[in-house]
Amino acid sequence: MHSERHEELVSLAALGLPLEDDAAEYARLLEEPCPECARLLPELRFAASSLAATVPPRRPRPSLRDDLLASLGPARRPDSRRAPVAGWAFAAAAAVLFVLIALDDARLRRQREELRARNFELAQAVETSRSDLARRDLRARVLESDDVRMLFLGGKGPQPNARAKVFWSERAKRGVLVAGNLAPLAPDRQYQLWVFVDGKPVDAGVFDADPSGRALFESKDLAAIRTAENFAVTVEPRGGLPQPSGPIVLLGSPSG
Amino acid sequence: MNPRAEPADRDQSDRVLVAAMEARDADALARLYDRHAARLLGVAYRILGETGEAEEVVQEVFLHAWKGASSFDPFRGTVLAWLIIATRSRAIDRLRTRRPMVTSDAAGRDPLAQVAAGDDVEAGSAAREWETLCRAAIADLPADQRRALELAYFDGLTHQEIAGRTATPLGTVKTRIRLGLMKLRERMRPYWEERDA
Repeated sequence: MHSERHEELVSLAALGLPLEDDAAEYARLLEEPCPECARLLPELRFAASSLAATVPPRRPRPSLRDDLLASLGPARRPDSRRAPVAGWAFAAAAAVLFVLIALDDARLRRQREELRARNFELAQAVETSRSDLARRDLRARVLESDDVRMLFLGGKGPQPNARAKVFWSERAKRGVLVAGNLAPLAPDRQYQLWVFVDGKPVDAGVFDADPSGRALFESKDLAAIRTAENFAVTVEPRGGLPQPSGPIVLLGSPSG
Repeated sequence: MNPRAEPADRDQSDRVLVAAMEARDADALARLYDRHAARLLGVAYRILGETGEAEEVVQEVFLHAWKGASSFDPFRGTVLAWLIIATRSRAIDRLRTRRPMVTSDAAGRDPLAQVAAGDDVEAGSAAREWETLCRAAIADLPADQRRALELAYFDGLTHQEIAGRTATPLGTVKTRIRLGLMKLRERMRPYWEERDA
């Protein structure tokens, strides 16, 4: 339980007021093991933000929005589609490849092999781009669904600092998982998402984390399940298993 | 669905957008901007009293939200409150670097740029519900507590400056701030209970 003095100091801090002579006392209060006290600062900041409701909104100049989006950089715009570029490159490479084969020259044959490799890479790039677009469409469908719900998953066992959110659309029977602080895995391992139905885990798909420990993953189509009760992530052999065998690293928190 | 899961409540849609921003979806940022930019510009303008600088603050805040989407914690408040806190903090920082400040009386008088609360943003009923709750909570505050909070929140005055401006003992100013904020916190409790349920 916090004292009035504590409330006073935290109130000043919540408004960003300089504590000056009270700073040392406030620092000592922060060090006290008091979960309720720790919550007070964000709660008072939130309470103070209600003052903003008394201010009339103002319409920004229209170009401000464009300036903001432009400042993100073209690589981050969702409309930047690589597929057409890759498609042109694919076509050009194929045409070049055709000419080279016709000449049947030793040097050109060597180049032909190189172009074949490049061709393969480009074909893969096209496929990846198509797949990215499909995944983006899927994400949009799940995230924009009006019945989407969010569940928090906390770190467990070997990865206590891992965290994740699952956005689940009961109607679409699909979920989108956004995770962070995931540990790197051995090449033969993958993370596997499980949906709990009637207390039993159902495979929702496998995914990898990026080098920074983040992951964005769309679940399988789980049309056959009745309803999702909870979610968990385990570490499994690459490709996943029908039933979990590895340690649970992320788990939702069902209340009783 | 798990009871721990968030209900499709007032700012669920905002949180979905923030999650999409975390996944680097710029469309989500654009939609969040469309919903809340006018509200945030109103706050920044109320503090700074100058449109160009207020717009710079709003742009900074949305960039901050884009880069720091993963830092948003829904158990510490709504997305709108998160954006408002960032806006107010940046605007106050600017205000304090350019004292003497624009007085609060000068702010908010340009009717050309103002828009009605109900038709400006696409926040819809959720934002209006929040706005109604906040306004009711603030209207219930005693005038001296409200004045102390406004001078600190919008004018960036320290408690010592508020004491000087209102000719009130410093201890009384601190008490007014504490009581005012604690009452607002109590009135906003439905948000906490919803998240802690």
